[in-house]
Amino acid sequence: MAAAAVIGIALGLIYGWVIDPIEYTDVPPNILREDYRADYVLMVAEAYHEELDSEVAARRLAVLGSESPAVITASTIEYANRNAFPQDEVQVLQNLLTAMQTYQPQGNTGP
Amino acid sequence: MSRFNFRGHFFQLFFALLAGLGLGLVYSWFLSPVTYVDATPAILRSDFKDQYRVVIAASYASTQNLDRARVRLQLLGDVDPVGELSAQAQRMLAAGESFEKARPLAQLATDLNQGFASLPSPTPFTILTPQDVSAISATETQTEETVIIEETVTPFPTILFEQTPITPVVIETATPRATFTPIPGPGAPFALVGRDTVCAPGTQAGLLQFMLMDSRRKQVAGIEIIVTWSRGEDRFFTGFKPELGNGYADFIMEKDTVYSVRIAAGGAFVSDIVAPACTDPNGVSYPGGLLLTFQQP
Repeated sequence: MAAAAVIGIALGLIYGWVIDPIEYTDVPPNILREDYRADYVLMVAEAYHEELDSEVAARRLAVLGSESPAVITASTIEYANRNAFPQDEVQVLQNLLTAMQTYQPQGNTGP
Repeated sequence: MSRFNFRGHFFQLFFALLAGLGLGLVYSWFLSPVTYVDATPAILRSDFKDQYRVVIAASYASTQNLDRARVRLQLLGDVDPVGELSAQAQRMLAAGESFEKARPLAQLATDLNQGFASLPSPTPFTILTPQDVSAISATETQTEETVIIEETVTPFPTILFEQTPITPVVIETATPRATFTPIPGPGAPFALVGRDTVCAPGTQAGLLQFMLMDSRRKQVAGIEIIVTWSRGEDRFFTGFKPELGNGYADFIMEKDTVYSVRIAAGGAFVSDIVAPACTDPNGVSYPGGLLLTFQQP
């Protein structure tokens, strides 16, 4: 009987994890696959190139997780270098990184 | 007797299997479900999808890379990406956000609809040093004030949703040149050139439609229209329904209400607008629509 229960549990796990796993539909961006995440950061960088608004860029990056915007951008540059992104794209990311490294959130500008 | 025992034993095994199956499902679905770590943009929550679209549109405003913007929008899995862009732009305006924020979305929708970028290619990317960034950050506050001043002086959105054709340079011979004729710029006032009653049973009752065109009869997006009546006022822009035309906008009139229309950029003022009475084939009267066509001289 214990063997039957174990087989049942195994079947249940296979069904629930492999055959018909939970499907997520309303996920936050922090679990985006690395390439999508990199593309999102690249878009923010391209927009920053036009808008030159650090506050907006930082807010857009903040949806990707609790890391600082500079860390998010830096890891994207690493990804871009690993995956041979065109030089101009690496350059806009670099510009965004420079901006995020010097960015001070509003209210924290004091000494 | 032995037959009975066999059956009882079989049921015990069966129920043990069933209980195990149930426990396995509870564990795999509720206690320790599959954890997503490599999500695609298509399964993002709707508010994050909106944010994603805003960033796509802002990136497009910088790069003017329409193909890439199209591919990025496809990642969101929308059935009608252009419609979603327009709808989001309208939602933003309805929520009281400025036209400046909604404009990149509307422009991307317009460009996707027409199939080419409205604005010329951007300048090449330059390297920013930390000193440059500090200078930019220092002027960001001032920039906001400047924008407000500019908006007061020139309330008309200056963006052009047209593509400037690139013509080859031709070396002129001795042929006499034609006399220069000034062409009205984007700020030239619009004039009412058409006022047509639309009687089409089945369409929205009291639909007031606008079509705004430039001097070359090309539809113009981003023009603010102000509709006023005794109990209120509404402001909206052309180009937020690109599937109906870049220069299109509409408004629903109520029965027995008199409206006035003004194009915000110093255009024509049209008063005494009411929903016309139409009659269907059965002789039943219903409120029809109006199509107002404005054109720059």
